Amino acid sequence: MVALKQEKLLSTAESAVKSALKKGAAEAEAYVVESCSTMVGIERGQIAKSSRVVDQGLGVRAIVNKTVGFSYTNMLDDKKALEEAVEKAVSAARASKPDKDWPGFPVERSFPSVKGGFDKRIVELRADDLVEIAGLILDSAEATDKRVIPVEGGVSASYGCGAVANSNGVAGFDSGTVIDCGLATVGNDAGEVTPVCYELNTERSYDIDPEWVGREAARLAASSLKAKKVETKCITVIFVQTALQELLSFTLINAVKADYVQRNQSALKGKIGERVASELVSVYDDGLLEGGLRTGKFDGEGVPHQRTPLIMKGVLRGFIYDNYTAKKEGKESTGNATRGGYWSTPSLEANNFHVVSGSKSNDALVDEVNEGLIVYLLQGAHSSNPASGDFSVVGAPAWKIEKGEIAYAVKGAMVSGNVFELLRNVSGLSDMERQVGALVSPWVRVENVKVIGK
Amino acid sequence: MKDVLSKVLDFASGKFGAEYVEARAQRLFRTMLTLKEGRVEAARQGLENGTALRVLVKGAWGFASVGSLDSKVLVEAVSDACKMAEAASSRLKTPLKLAEAKSIEDKVTLKPRKDPSKVSIEDKIDTNLSLNEAIMSFDSHVKSCTIDYLDLTGTSYFMNSDGSYIEQGKLYVWARAVATAVEGDVLTFSREEIGSTSGYEVFDVQTPESVGKMVAERAVGQLKAKKPKGGTFPAVLTPNFVGVFVHEAFGHLAEADLTLSGSVLGDKLGKKVGSDFVTFYDDGTVKGAFGSYKYDDEGVPAQKTLLVKNGVVAGLMHNRETAQKFGAKPTGNARAEDFHVEPIIRMRNTFIEPRDHSLEEMFEGIKFGYYLKSFRGGQANLDGTFQVGVQEAYEIVNGEVGKPVRNASISGNTLETLLKVDAVGEDFELWPGRCGKGQTAFTCDGGAHTRVKEVLVGGSA
Repeated sequence: MVALKQEKLLSTAESAVKSALKKGAAEAEAYVVESCSTMVGIERGQIAKSSRVVDQGLGVRAIVNKTVGFSYTNMLDDKKALEEAVEKAVSAARASKPDKDWPGFPVERSFPSVKGGFDKRIVELRADDLVEIAGLILDSAEATDKRVIPVEGGVSASYGCGAVANSNGVAGFDSGTVIDCGLATVGNDAGEVTPVCYELNTERSYDIDPEWVGREAARLAASSLKAKKVETKCITVIFVQTALQELLSFTLINAVKADYVQRNQSALKGKIGERVASELVSVYDDGLLEGGLRTGKFDGEGVPHQRTPLIMKGVLRGFIYDNYTAKKEGKESTGNATRGGYWSTPSLEANNFHVVSGSKSNDALVDEVNEGLIVYLLQGAHSSNPASGDFSVVGAPAWKIEKGEIAYAVKGAMVSGNVFELLRNVSGLSDMERQVGALVSPWVRVENVKVIGK
Repeated sequence: MKDVLSKVLDFASGKFGAEYVEARAQRLFRTMLTLKEGRVEAARQGLENGTALRVLVKGAWGFASVGSLDSKVLVEAVSDACKMAEAASSRLKTPLKLAEAKSIEDKVTLKPRKDPSKVSIEDKIDTNLSLNEAIMSFDSHVKSCTIDYLDLTGTSYFMNSDGSYIEQGKLYVWARAVATAVEGDVLTFSREEIGSTSGYEVFDVQTPESVGKMVAERAVGQLKAKKPKGGTFPAVLTPNFVGVFVHEAFGHLAEADLTLSGSVLGDKLGKKVGSDFVTFYDDGTVKGAFGSYKYDDEGVPAQKTLLVKNGVVAGLMHNRETAQKFGAKPTGNARAEDFHVEPIIRMRNTFIEPRDHSLEEMFEGIKFGYYLKSFRGGQANLDGTFQVGVQEAYEIVNGEVGKPVRNASISGNTLETLLKVDAVGEDFELWPGRCGKGQTAFTCDGGAHTRVKEVLVGGSA
């Protein structure tokens, strides 16, 4: 992998800020990123491809008369292109409309130290090493069950770094690594095809278990065979992290964003201090969580990350903010301005959305269910109503629980409801946390959920 | 560009003995706007240069992407790609091969009536402000409105080791308006998109006023809506809704990479899977449509691909690799979002072919059912289970459109549901959308009004 330099990134950002001020901007901010990602891919039962993507770029925000302009380029080695990007940010600001509420860029605050975000061993991994890891996934999937097709998957090792600078003196640099391995599988037996099953393991340090990924992905597909339809009724549902992540991404996580709240798009508006969930439920947004996938020193605007209480024992305690939404309420940003890349302006996103674990084992959570469903993935979570939290999705793969035992796979079971009703009806959380995307959580059990079968 | 790419290709074939090499260099210029209740969050514009290099060495794929058009950087990157392919080939069981494709030399110049790169940012802001105005001023219950706008222009320079060299202009204009309405505890949500490959003139047809009214009217109308009953009911689907159903429920299963991965269509080629009314196409040649282009990202001409004819599976969507496996011809469905990623099989403009039922005939005889007017997302699964969310629907009571319902979705098994299609209308519409399969592709979905005898409706009442 290429070695990326702190001084170069930070100085590129700082000189872009200076140049924007010189060109007439009242304020300016620059964000510079570089990343390198190496991947080895599994396709239909074999390792068949490998890729390396090197990416870099600069994004500049310039303010003229409370009007925001932005421009980007990926040509970091081309002085003229960099100047042009700055120029375009200023000209975009001149062409746009002023925002009377523009609060200015964040001011300098000291950055926290974070743990577990970088591992040199990941930087040093080569394609051959990744082929070996992908081989472990594939071998253990194949050894688990012959009726399973390893459809797609692989392993990727990424290294990225970024710098933010603004005209208020903010200057930050951070770097991190991620290793990710996963496998999608389908069970196929005598003409019966299962839904796609998926298992993954993503870490910031070189501490993954590819054999578990392969084995578990195959086990899920094999046990999805011989699926039956279920009756339509209200029963208990256990959401495994992978399913919960899909559901919450399109509902609850939006509802705690200050932008949604301020703009009447959140059902949680005006409910601070009120009971919004079962008292078993506590949620933080934690940008400092050790080894968290979205852990880092600061956000996309150079505001320090922090741990923000959102729901404590069922009571709504707070929302997440970027600088703009925070200043609107006279508050400080919670460090949740996220960059999609150099081509985008910051947007308000959760860092590590941490649902705090409970005290029961996964097994105990299942044991106590008389009649229920355990759901691993959802189909159609993005079709939820992001404002009201209403959803109507397919749980697949999912299994029926009868008298404390996982009885059989179900097919085509729809799960319908409202995420806030779901939160109030939580009856148990397991003691095993894991991270899937922005979510860190245990298994979550919910009572009285509408399941629509035949 | 031609000389640079040809040098890079020669190097990969000469030094690494690559069986196939392909270079896709791009210059891309984007303008983006986000408006929240008429406040312009940031006017954004930017320029990117980059090249995607893809090679086949010892039967395995190697891919490299760099943000450069410089020959030295590209030679390094293609070497990287060849070494990556070699590493991957070490555990290969079946070496990959590509179907034949005619070598093509062409230069595709776009001739928009209004080139978005020549429209000023001020004008673009004004257009989007009128869209915002049409939504926010529609009714006092409308409380928020987010508009995203994107235009993308640029050029792709494609060369492969089979002798093709294609310069192709790229042009996309897209906008999405989202509104919420509030009354008491009820929050509704409404979304509409505009998308075109013809030019900025799309706003002359889909005017900000008309699109804005549609978005706001729905958000307000949904305030009075009730929850749907969960269960199995007959349904009439609009072109907007049936398009997404065709795309999600059938289209993805007919993407040959997914068919090979074990989708339920695996053994259905030439077999009857739907009623006689069911004829599906995926067509990359509809002029100006959001999913149209002349050549795909493997240099294969786009075409009108027949997927189902009168209920019988007639074909799949291919790239050169899957076409070889099926002994079929590539269909021009290999698309890459940009130079950061490799081409994969994607849909273009996907639709159900119109027949001759009138709308009245379709509603006739339905005692109780649902009129599914506009979708909100959808997702397919390889086992044939589909889900399509609904942002606007009405009850059908005794053959008449009745009260609105909200936050429904439909689901079922594709192969069972296609057999239950018992009427297809004579109208035709295509609606722009974006499809996610790891990468985003611009597409259209549509067709004619379609009736399904029964489908599972998810609701919480």
